[in-house]
Formats: sequence, C-alpha cells, structure tokens
Amino acid sequence: MNSTSARFVPSKRMGICEPMHQMAMWDFKGNNFLETSPPSMFEIETNLDNLSEDTSHGTVGPSSKYDQEASKSDDKVRRRLAQNREAARKSRLRKKAYVQQLESSKLRLIQLEQELHRTRLQQGQYVGGGIDTSQLGYSETTNPGIATFEMEYGQWVEEQNRQISELRSALNSDMGDMELHIFVDCGMRHYSDLFTMKATAAKADVFHIISGMWKTSAERFFLWIAGFRPSELLKQILMPNLEPLTEQQRLDVSNLRQSCQQAEDALSQGMEKLHYILAETIAEGQLGEGNYLHQIGSTIDKFEALARFVVQADHLRQETLQQIYRILSTRQAAQGLLAMGEYLQRLRTLSSCWSSRPTEQT
Amino acid sequence: MQQALPFRDWLTTAGSGGGGRSAAAAAANANSVSESTIGDAGSARKLVAENAVVVFARRGCCMCHVVQLLLRGHGVNPSIADVDEQNEADLADELAKIAGDGSAVPQLPAVFVGGELFGGLEEVMGAHISGELVPRLREAKALWL
Repeated sequence: MNSTSARFVPSKRMGICEPMHQMAMWDFKGNNFLETSPPSMFEIETNLDNLSEDTSHGTVGPSSKYDQEASKSDDKVRRRLAQNREAARKSRLRKKAYVQQLESSKLRLIQLEQELHRTRLQQGQYVGGGIDTSQLGYSETTNPGIATFEMEYGQWVEEQNRQISELRSALNSDMGDMELHIFVDCGMRHYSDLFTMKATAAKADVFHIISGMWKTSAERFFLWIAGFRPSELLKQILMPNLEPLTEQQRLDVSNLRQSCQQAEDALSQGMEKLHYILAETIAEGQLGEGNYLHQIGSTIDKFEALARFVVQADHLRQETLQQIYRILSTRQAAQGLLAMGEYLQRLRTLSSCWSSRPTEQT
Repeated sequence: MQQALPFRDWLTTAGSGGGGRSAAAAAANANSVSESTIGDAGSARKLVAENAVVVFARRGCCMCHVVQLLLRGHGVNPSIADVDEQNEADLADELAKIAGDGSAVPQLPAVFVGGELFGGLEEVMGAHISGELVPRLREAKALWL
C-alpha cells in the first residue's frame, strides 16, 4: 500500500479543510497500477468499484471570469480526480487482499485436515503390523532434527500453496515473460530448499524420510526413494499440461525422460543391493542364540549409505528439474510448476478426504 | 512401468556380493581388465593413466554399483578398483594428488575419466542428465560410437 501524506490546506474560498496529496502521487505507481493491474481470477468488478468509490472530497468552485480563479478551479478538478483515482485503487487493493485471504484460508483448512490425519496416524488410530504406533510417534517427535523438519515442511507446503495460487493468477493474466520468470525462479528455488531440508533430516533419521511419514498417505503410496519419480513427473504431469512444444523440445524431453529412467533404474538396483546387504548383516550369525549386539552395530554402521541414497535421489530430481528448466520456455516452465504443484495438492486433498471418510465400526 | 531397459542385461542378481566381480563376469567388452585391488598408491596412478574410465570404491559399495550401471548403460566398461579399508585414507590422498594440486580429497566412489578426476556419483548422474557425460566419454576414447 502506498503511504500518502496528507497536508491540510485551508481553502480560502470555502473555509473548509481538505487533504491534499503530494504531487508525486501523480507520477507514482498510482497511475501505472490502475492501467496494468492484472485481473485476478476472482474477477474484480471495476465498474462496481468505480460506482462505490465515486466520492467527492470537495466541491467544485463556481467558474470565474478571472484567470486566477479559473486556474484554481482547474486545480480543484484535478485534485478531485486524483482523489477518486486513489480511492478506487485502494478499494481494489482491499478487495484483492480480502479475496487472497479467503483463498489461503481455504488452503489452510485443507492443510489442517491433513495435519489432523497425520496426528491420528501417529497416535495409533491406524495400527499396522502390530507395531505400537503411539510409541513410534513419541520417539519421532523427540528427535529434534525430525521435529524441526516436520515444522519446516509444514511451512514449505503452505508457501507452495501460496506460490501455486500466484502462478495460476499470473498465467491467467497477460503478465510478460520477465515477471513470469521471477515466479518460475521462485518455484525452482522452493524445491531446492526442500531437497536441502530433506538432506539434513535424513541425517537425523533416514527412516522417517525414506518411509514418507512426513507426507500424506496418498503421496506415500507413490513414493520412490523419498520423493517423486522424475520420469513419471515428465510423462504424466508435465507433458500433458504444457503449451505445444517445438520439435527440438520434444526431442530433448524424450531424451531427458530416457536418461531419467536409466538413472532411476540404476538407483533402484543400488537400493536393492543395499537392502540385501543390510538384511544379510542383521541376520548374520546364528539366529536363536540371543546374542546379537555385534549385528546391530554393523547394521547401524551401514545406515549411512541409506541417507546417501536419499541425497542422490533428490540430486537426480534437482538435476531433472534444472534440465527441464533449460529446455522449456518461461511460460512453459510456469505451466510445469503449476501442474506439479496442483498434482501434489490433489494428492494431499485425496489423503484428507480418504482419512475423513466415514469408517465402519466393527 | 519401467521394464527391461537394455542395461539390465549387464546385471547379475542382486544377491551376489561385490558388484565389481559379478560385473566383470557379465561384461563382454574388449576393454582392459575390469577389476583390481588397490594395494598401494603407485598402482592407483597407473590405473588412472592406463584406463579410460576408472572407478575407485570400497568393496561391495552400493553407490559404486549405481555408478557402474550408469556407465555400462552407455556401453562403457569401467575399471573397478576395490579399496581396502586400511588403505582408504592413503589412497584418498593419492587420488587428490592425481586430481591436481589443491584438489579436495575425493569421496568414494571416485570416478576418473581420461586420466582426470570426474567426480563421484553426483557428478556422473548430473552429467548423465544434462547430456554432458557421453561427449566426455567419447573424448576419453571410452566410447567408439
């Protein structure tokens, strides 16, 4: 919001005080904003605004034969028009802010439902495999690294929801590539932040990360080494939602997808091997003697490799995103980020609805 | 969804230990001996000088396995050098020297292409995705196609 300084100038003619805005207001964004303000998807009715804000702050003085008085009334007209413009603009800003608040409240509501579901999970409402999940929940929340991560991730999701709304509005408006580029960079950096957070959390407790406990249930189902599968992202989420690609882009994306699949396969097989080695290590020696401290120790030593796999998988995701960024135009990249973001939102909402469905009592 | 990609043929079952050994059995390329155990620093230098692609890794390292798969997928048969735990620190220093003065001590697995330190799994994967890997391999005469 622009800050306006008002000076009260006693009008000699009418004997009332009226606020006078600084002349700088004229050239300031005030004017530009009015002309190029992007229409938000919530359709600001400018007609309505103009009607409701058609106030007159002063009265137009009677026309005078004298030059001095003529220029004074000119001033008054100009002043009134400026005030009207200002009022209209403020009204539009208020409305926009209100609508954005509604939108983020809606998303917050969805997020709260998911958190509720997650808490239910941790408190053992869904018991799986005979494990005492309430104990599990307790030990996880006492790990400070994980507690920090969960909090930061919650904030990350909120921020992502906000960015998605922004992207949506931006793409629906006639925003130029220069500005769109800023949103795209923002989105890219946001994912980068997530990978950094995950790397730190993986050191604190790799199992929490790799099991996907930090994600909602539907997301967990689709997990591949603690995150999305790059080739799937390309094929199912990005390709169908981008503006038509050039021949060269099509070729590049196809090559990228193949490279991703090869890298995913290599990582998957590496994980399988690690899985086997870990199983072998913990099962080493006679099972049944009741003495297994040694095996516990050697297995724990190998857990560090698990964390490295998470980091490498995230690195693959990062590299893929950056390659996509290189291949696509700004607009396509924005569409891609929007598609990705909404896909994740759908999964979260799916999880939410699923967990709050009426369950049969046995 | 992802089934039977070509380089799966290179791989023996996950059950066998020591990725290097089983890979050597599976590989059919005419390239030099695939595997050796590094006993001293001198042999490290020799390996790097004589082979287009060398991977230094701890025995049974799963990351090394991933690197090998990626490289083999391009038709390259890298020489694998198993590193003993005792020698690891010394070898790492030696690798840093080979890499060049002032280089940081590389983490294992460490990949050398054309006598130069290429990096670890991260660098190989990055190059694989960005498309830079194949040209580098060709430059080092690790690929003929």
